[in-house]
Amino acid sequence: MTQEIDVSVSNLTKQWGDVKAVNNVSFDVPKGSFFSVLGPSASGKTTVLRMIAGFETPTAGDMFIGGQRINDLPANKRPCNLVFQRLALFPMMNVIDNVTFGLRRRGGIDKAEMERMANDVLARVDMKGLNERKISQISGGQQQRVALARSLVLDPTVLLLDEPLSALDLKLRQDMKLELKRLQARMGTTFMYITHDQTIALAMSDTIAVINFGKLEQVASPDTLYREPATHFVASFVGENNRWNNGKVVELVDEKTCRVDFGGILSNARMGEKLQPGDNIDLFIRPEMILLKPGKQKPGSLGKIKEINFDGSHSLVVVDLVESKIPLSINVKLQHTEETPEIAIGDTVTLSWGRTKRPAANAFLHIEPPTDEEE
Amino acid sequence: MLEKIKNSKGLMLVLVPHLVWIGVLFVLPHIKLFGLSFVDRRSGEVTLGNYMKFFESELYRDVFMHTALFAILVTLITLAIAFPTAFIITKILGKKMKAALLLGIVLPYWISELIRVFAWMVLLRETGVVSYMLQAIGVTSQNIEFLYQNGTIVIGLVYTSILFMIIPIMNSLDSLDNSLIEASYDLGGNFWSTMKEIIIPHAAPGIMVGSVMVFMLNLGNYVTVTLLGGKNSLWFTENIYNQFIVRFNHNQGAAFGVILLTFSVLVVWISLKVTGQDMAEAM
Repeated sequence: MTQEIDVSVSNLTKQWGDVKAVNNVSFDVPKGSFFSVLGPSASGKTTVLRMIAGFETPTAGDMFIGGQRINDLPANKRPCNLVFQRLALFPMMNVIDNVTFGLRRRGGIDKAEMERMANDVLARVDMKGLNERKISQISGGQQQRVALARSLVLDPTVLLLDEPLSALDLKLRQDMKLELKRLQARMGTTFMYITHDQTIALAMSDTIAVINFGKLEQVASPDTLYREPATHFVASFVGENNRWNNGKVVELVDEKTCRVDFGGILSNARMGEKLQPGDNIDLFIRPEMILLKPGKQKPGSLGKIKEINFDGSHSLVVVDLVESKIPLSINVKLQHTEETPEIAIGDTVTLSWGRTKRPAANAFLHIEPPTDEEE
Repeated sequence: MLEKIKNSKGLMLVLVPHLVWIGVLFVLPHIKLFGLSFVDRRSGEVTLGNYMKFFESELYRDVFMHTALFAILVTLITLAIAFPTAFIITKILGKKMKAALLLGIVLPYWISELIRVFAWMVLLRETGVVSYMLQAIGVTSQNIEFLYQNGTIVIGLVYTSILFMIIPIMNSLDSLDNSLIEASYDLGGNFWSTMKEIIIPHAAPGIMVGSVMVFMLNLGNYVTVTLLGGKNSLWFTENIYNQFIVRFNHNQGAAFGVILLTFSVLVVWISLKVTGQDMAEAM
């Protein structure tokens, strides 16, 4: 069965003067899914959202919601609703009037029915009994709920969310994050969530589209995005990574894997793009995928512990690789379990990675780092 | 910090000029005026006669009604022009245009009201610029007098007071987050419903402040009305002037003044009540 598509964007471009804020972006959002658009600030992700919502006109490209082309529909006729970054609740109205605002615009619904619908959706977002409160009289988390209810009550084909959680403090943000995902699963509405916060995107999404400088880098599930980044940017932007610049491809192991050389240290790496022996590459290694064993062991690379940064459930251990011909150090995320070895600064340890099916290291053609990073 | 200032003894000293201003130039004269209005001019006895004269005389009542209605009319016309202007300047135009237009509105007020009204006279008089232009393009063959008519007074008053409407409305619109307007559209609102539900309620304090100021300015205007309207201006301030200056009847003039003041306070109070606003909040 082919999956139904709720939002489809093809070759979408937005140009401001000489700058292409959004450059030829295409993606499909499956019905009922939680779809995130992830990118650093000024990457064009908000512009994509505002074009779909109808507040910006694309320079080129088409947008479809539920199969219907929406390019020429005004914002107030589009079957989508937007939860604004700063929520944009109406301060001159109380909670219930905010929620019924859209229903009142539709007309043809009697007042009792509108209140019933509003109360119904307010109950779904856990906001009972505060109907008469002014917006300024409820908390930030409650305002989030009202903003969601105000859009959801209109039963949009897709709910667009412009980083609405970014205004909340950390604890509340984490609670709301889980709640939002549950709400989406419960209601089955397609969510399209714009964010620069990868932890939110990774935790909540079915699919993530990564965008940078207006260009789509990769559209994939969080798991794929994390383990098999398609581009240099995705590898460096999503998740924590050790980045080693200027290595060499020694040989190709199979279709996906190559052997790379960093100052004499050899490693297997997944090829993020097509590589040839002799190519100058950057290597990304996930800190949590590195196996650390005390003492000299085989196989692996010898190292000396330089720093230990305790962080509760794990420690971030910085290890100097002593067998390397160039000064090379690596961050290792050491999970604290019953089997975790006791280590101290100065200890000799053996590191190994890339020996399982799950890729720990990704290799991409070398790109000059934007700032002069060390290592 | 503020607490410390609040408790300091020197604070009252700083307020002295303001208190003198209010007390000597505002409160005292009004008390005196109020007192005078209840005194008979000849006998010096306490009487309601000065007020009776107003209510018994059809002429005074008519002039008063005329003034009141025109002041309200001018306020409404000013609002009708100022609101769209303020909206376009604050919400539609870019920063540069905004600054240029705002300067254009403020600049004429650097010149005294008297001079500005004289400029209107140069334009509108029988041998004035407008009359001459109309003849030049052949619309008419003789001089036309535009002065000394109600329409001219209305134009003059709108022109004189519009700044005091535009600025408060601009202030209140400036503080309106544009995403509220977008949210209204997003939820299915159109131009009119967004105006009615979001923009006007948000701008209401500004509209109220502007209307109160413009109404007061118009009701008590003397220069513009007299110069543009001449003897037929039928403006109530003219009666007060006549009583004080021409007929030297301070008691009668005081009574007229109190009546005008009472009326304007009443209108402001009623409009605040009707629009459900608080004076302190609006200001």
